[in-house]
Amino acid sequence: MTEVISLHSSRGGTGKTVIGVNLAALLASKGLNVTLVDLDFRAPSLYHTFRPYVEPPSFWVNDYLNLHCEPDDFLVGVGKALNLKGDLLIGFANPHTRAIEDMLGKSRSWEATALKRLFDLKTFLAQNLNNDVCLCDTSPGIHYSSLNAMLYSDRIVFVSTSDPLEMEQVANMLEEYNDVFEDKTSILLNKAFPETSCLCDRGQEEQAIRLLADIKIPLIGMIPCYCDVLTTQTRLLMFEKRGHPFFGRLEEVARILISEQKNKKERQAIPAK
Amino acid sequence: MKGRCGEISKKGVPPKDAYDKIIDELGKLSRKIDSLTHSTETILEAEEKILSTLGKRVLLESQAKTVVPDATALLSLPGSLRKTMLAMYKLGEATAEDLSDETSRLRAVESACANQLTRMGYLEKKRIGRKVYFQIQQSLGALAE
Repeated sequence: MTEVISLHSSRGGTGKTVIGVNLAALLASKGLNVTLVDLDFRAPSLYHTFRPYVEPPSFWVNDYLNLHCEPDDFLVGVGKALNLKGDLLIGFANPHTRAIEDMLGKSRSWEATALKRLFDLKTFLAQNLNNDVCLCDTSPGIHYSSLNAMLYSDRIVFVSTSDPLEMEQVANMLEEYNDVFEDKTSILLNKAFPETSCLCDRGQEEQAIRLLADIKIPLIGMIPCYCDVLTTQTRLLMFEKRGHPFFGRLEEVARILISEQKNKKERQAIPAK
Repeated sequence: MKGRCGEISKKGVPPKDAYDKIIDELGKLSRKIDSLTHSTETILEAEEKILSTLGKRVLLESQAKTVVPDATALLSLPGSLRKTMLAMYKLGEATAEDLSDETSRLRAVESACANQLTRMGYLEKKRIGRKVYFQIQQSLGALAE
């Protein structure tokens, strides 16, 4: 069974891609078969992140959604290149300007077909590749690609900073799409409380609880604002900063995701009475 | 023996005036047939106009009924119908029973939801033998194939 997790945010710059890339690598390093798909067609960035490790792909996610190829044509394996225990497949969105323009001018029928293709991808990953987790890096805010991702995901993780204005935007989105998010959404605070970095963990947690008081979704983790992470050139921090507290926090998130998926599998294995 | 065209001679050959009468009657018949043909043509033309108007209306109605089931349309659906619709996206074509297996809801609930979605123009219904299959609109299916 493949668990599809969408990483979403109400605006850009929350660190969604950094979280996505490193979480995918972390899960794969633990032996899980992971797929990371770039669904941010307005600002694709996964290809630039993984460029040092891969050849230019023959097909992109765009091609799959445009019915020009099949899943095994556009998914690129990087597990071996990164020496990971499990498989890590990446679906890159085409970063070229023409491709971005093309994806912005799609009709509603095309968008509906794209949603069907995403469901087909999920079935393919589960049936053909024994994939455990599929992480989707979505386009921030409200965009058809992110709405599609949210609809077909089993779980949505909102990556947000601790900026109260951003939190308000998150609250608005959650209120608007209340019954879509249902019980499958959680929030991950990233770059949290830069002004109180001297506070102990407990102090930051208390602050997070106060901040999330009006948003009735669980907090899956909190990653403080680390200046050295922000200034690092690469987004794939796993190999440069493995011992960094950033990874300690991300490990906690990964542990929660793995244990919840395990529980879900066990629940599904029990036949309904 | 007297026919409509006059008296027939004993040898069975009609008199000359009888021929004239026959020709006259045939002429009248021919004119009536022409008139009838003209009327029929007029009626057919009128019928064609009516059918064409009706056809356009039916087409417009069917177009109005066709919904593009994209993300925004799905988000506007009530949660119970959206659940069926998302299961349909996964399965492509399904019976109420297949839907029930997918969503873990009762078959009757899925049947009601799928029928409602069909009335709303999101799904199409077809019968194969005793089974009723629902599918996402043909146009979307064709595009997705």
